[in-house]
Amino acid sequence: MEVEQFLVDATLEVFSSMIPIDIAPEPAECAALAVEPDVSSLIGLAGDLTGVLIVHCPAPVALSITSAMLGLEATTLDEDVRDALGEVANMVAGGLKVSLAEKGKKIELAIATTCIGKAIRTGGLAGAARTAVTFATPSGRFWVALCYILK
Amino acid sequence: MAKNVLLIDDSSTMRKIISRSLRQAGLDFGEIYEAGDGLEALTLLENEKVDIVLSDINMPNMNGIEFLREKGNRPAIKDIPVFMISTETGDDIIGEAKTLGAIGALKKPFTPEKVSEVLGPLI
Repeated sequence: MEVEQFLVDATLEVFSSMIPIDIAPEPAECAALAVEPDVSSLIGLAGDLTGVLIVHCPAPVALSITSAMLGLEATTLDEDVRDALGEVANMVAGGLKVSLAEKGKKIELAIATTCIGKAIRTGGLAGAARTAVTFATPSGRFWVALCYILK
Repeated sequence: MAKNVLLIDDSSTMRKIISRSLRQAGLDFGEIYEAGDGLEALTLLENEKVDIVLSDINMPNMNGIEFLREKGNRPAIKDIPVFMISTETGDDIIGEAKTLGAIGALKKPFTPEKVSEVLGPLI
């Protein structure tokens, strides 16, 4: 199943509909480049696909996304950034849910959680697959990752 | 007469986006009230004059489905129409919302044009 493509499609739809920033998915080899995240939004998934979807952003990208969503200039990694990036993760996960449903896979979404700080390590499920897509924006790259077990 | 709107969403960002979309659409509405979950919304509905509710589904404390169920048990507010705005699009959960009285649903993400098209006739 083309889970990586589902992530790309879901992320592109979120930005084209609600976040006026040009983004472009990068070739797979670019995903190996380190993205130093300052903000990470996580949302748990359960059902036919179990795991966690994470949106990792360096500070300049997180601030530009928040600014675009709110229509005002965000300058610090505060509650607005936490909330905006959580909603991005929620909507990307929602898009993934729709794509999986079209393949006969049903999932449920938890409430998104956003962490601010560099010293974040996310542990995955034992035996889980991992996939990640890097997106280029005018402010830098961000990264959408999925750690999952597909039934 | 302009309608008063209640937005229920645990994301303040999403409440601001919906509010902005309503304004951009040029819709004639009165007050816009906000609540972060179903519990807050019930309290607000009991105390303010609200003509239509736009509600998320996935929320902490009391989600959109629980809100619809509880609202339906309160005679003073049970007839206020509720429209769902959510990442949830499945027939099962949207069907349950409609069974509980929701008058329609809009999928997140959405464009301002979609907000105008879908909510314009209601507001």
